[in-house]
Amino acid sequence: MSLSFLDKSYNAFHDDQSFEEANSNTLTLYKEPGLVVPPTFNNAGFRDQSHEIAKKFAKGTTTLGFVFNKGIVIAVDSRASMGNYISSQNVKKVIEINPYLLGTMAGGAADCQFWERYLGMQCRLYELRNKRRITVSAASKLLVNIMYSYKGYGLSMGTMVAGWDHTGPNLFMVDNDGTRLKGNRFSVGSGSMFAYGVLDSGYRPDLTEEQACELGRRAIYHATHRDSMSGGIINVYLIREDGWHKISSTDMDHLHWNYVEDKKKEIADRNKL
Amino acid sequence: MSDCVIGIVGKDYVLLAADATAAFSIILMKDNEDKILKLDDNKLLAASGEAGDRVQFTEYIQKNLSLYKFRNDRALSTHGAAHFLRGELATALRKNPYQVNMLLAGYDKEIGGSLYYVDYLASMQKVPFGAHGYGSYFVWSILDKYAHLDMDLDEGIDVLNKCIAEVQKRLLLSTPRFIVKVVDKNGTREVSLDNSERAKIQQDKMDA
Amino acid sequence: MARRYDGRTTTFSPEGRLYQVEYAMEAISHAGTSLGILSKDGIVLAAEKKIISKLLDSDKKAEKMYKLDGHIACSVAGITADANILIQYARLAAQRYHFQYQEPIPVENLVKMLCDTKQGYTQFGGQRPFGVSLLYAGWDPYFGFQLYHSDPSGNYGGWKATAIGANFQGAQSILKQDWRDDLTIQEASLLAIKVMSKTMDSTSLSPEKLEFAVIKKEGDQVIYTVLDEKDVEKLLKEADIKISQEEQEGN
Repeated sequence: MSLSFLDKSYNAFHDDQSFEEANSNTLTLYKEPGLVVPPTFNNAGFRDQSHEIAKKFAKGTTTLGFVFNKGIVIAVDSRASMGNYISSQNVKKVIEINPYLLGTMAGGAADCQFWERYLGMQCRLYELRNKRRITVSAASKLLVNIMYSYKGYGLSMGTMVAGWDHTGPNLFMVDNDGTRLKGNRFSVGSGSMFAYGVLDSGYRPDLTEEQACELGRRAIYHATHRDSMSGGIINVYLIREDGWHKISSTDMDHLHWNYVEDKKKEIADRNKL
Repeated sequence: MSDCVIGIVGKDYVLLAADATAAFSIILMKDNEDKILKLDDNKLLAASGEAGDRVQFTEYIQKNLSLYKFRNDRALSTHGAAHFLRGELATALRKNPYQVNMLLAGYDKEIGGSLYYVDYLASMQKVPFGAHGYGSYFVWSILDKYAHLDMDLDEGIDVLNKCIAEVQKRLLLSTPRFIVKVVDKNGTREVSLDNSERAKIQQDKMDA
Repeated sequence: MARRYDGRTTTFSPEGRLYQVEYAMEAISHAGTSLGILSKDGIVLAAEKKIISKLLDSDKKAEKMYKLDGHIACSVAGITADANILIQYARLAAQRYHFQYQEPIPVENLVKMLCDTKQGYTQFGGQRPFGVSLLYAGWDPYFGFQLYHSDPSGNYGGWKATAIGANFQGAQSILKQDWRDDLTIQEASLLAIKVMSKTMDSTSLSPEKLEFAVIKKEGDQVIYTVLDEKDVEKLLKEADIKISQEEQEGN
């Protein structure tokens, strides 16, 4: 992350120096720490900065995935936006790579769709060539190697690759920087912070399948509520040993009123006690 | 740059520590990311830097050292590996630079432990200790004061503990967890910073 | 017209042989003998000088011995012009390795690289194989003193003592009989002279018919020395070989 705010102390230090020079024969009682915080990596002259444009695409989406004892839950919203304009409320942001692998979509819709379909093709070729299913680890590595080879060319993708292979449930996060992280709880997109809030506070590995799906749905719902770039339908998938299952596809408006009702009831119940 | 790697050469070992955080923008995505790659049976490479570059470059070096071993029936010396790594980084610098800062630790039978400090501009130095990242500013003075080449493993880990404690105390960006590995005549393994657990040091089971 | 199987280097004969490669090896077995002997403190290389003429103006001490890097030398048998190409390649390879890893190339690595080049000429068409065999002598920290031999096919092997060129079988059988693992450089040198005197065509040995080089270590330094005629002469005397300078001049 950028630490440019720290550079201000660097400038302040230099401003003070002229003061110090003028009073060099006086005893300095206070001095700011002389730490010259260097710029991060100095790119000047090494590579063009075109890759910076990728960061300007806020990944206007909320997606999440988490591993629990019974499998993996993937939940996503369905809004597509172009700036302030909502261009679609019905986007399929979970890409069904094969019966055991799912990919999620955040960032450029075209980039995600194209490369995840391409990944699906590569995974099928792997099966034909090797007579066994590709691992989630290998599939995500294929994708990240593509991401890395196009680094700086403006691709915008923040995706999770999730699935069940011979090692069990696996979840990876891959993005256009060429990052690939293995983990058991991820959220990607502009609403991810909101989703994390609900997800982190409600997560336990021993959730039932129903509880886990509801947690995913609820986390996305809260993200759509707070993030203007997320909304529409909330799709929930569950991945088990026998592959993925689409659990639900719910309009967040309906969910909203249901949750409002629930909360009202809860408060009413509390007051009765 | 918010990531931090530290290396110390001791009596008959080299210690490497790296923070285990993976950050994206203001989000902590992961707190158990292993940034110390096992290059071969007696070499470790700790790296910090730009997302993607770190993994791609260190794995590229790892695979090339493995190829060298297949071709020549013998692993490259730490000295050789360090210069190879530096050369690759320097070659890439004017084309498609990798933004990674590294510490290469190795143990060679005749020479003992050695540590090489390599920055993203491909300058390299053989050092008795070293550190990268914003954390390094807090760490250098501690290493200057406490670290020396005669330390046994426990003393080395104590110094490392001092370094990590200071980083966690003073650096604005939190680094909740560090992963520590050691390379010595027995190979490479992960060690615990916790004194009580240090006894049951486990053999490193990372993939080669 | 019936095609024969020796026209192209890359064509196998029905018996599964590569004639061009075998011809190259045959050419080498007529070249001046070269031998190498490993001793416990160094390596001795010796070679027969075929062309000796008073008219030949050369202040070179050796025609067949080449230093490839600070710690590796070689001796050649066969077409010297071909050898020059390989030697250029070897020197470049050694320096490239040093540049990449900042340490001297291990001896076997260099031998392998040369052999990969030689092998290429037995498989990719259009050119003939290199008509040279080489003996490589060197030292590295991994295996100490080493002696290797490589032939035009790209085969190579490590040896304790071996010979190439004319009458190499004869030379090898003497070496097989006399080589011991506790030889010193001095003893190895005398053995080299014994072998040369018994295998060379000329009736008497003389310093100008011999090339002699030694690789040894002084401290951390690897030292390569080509013996001058005086030293060779001294060796010849020690080896109790009668040199009849006058007789030769009389002829």
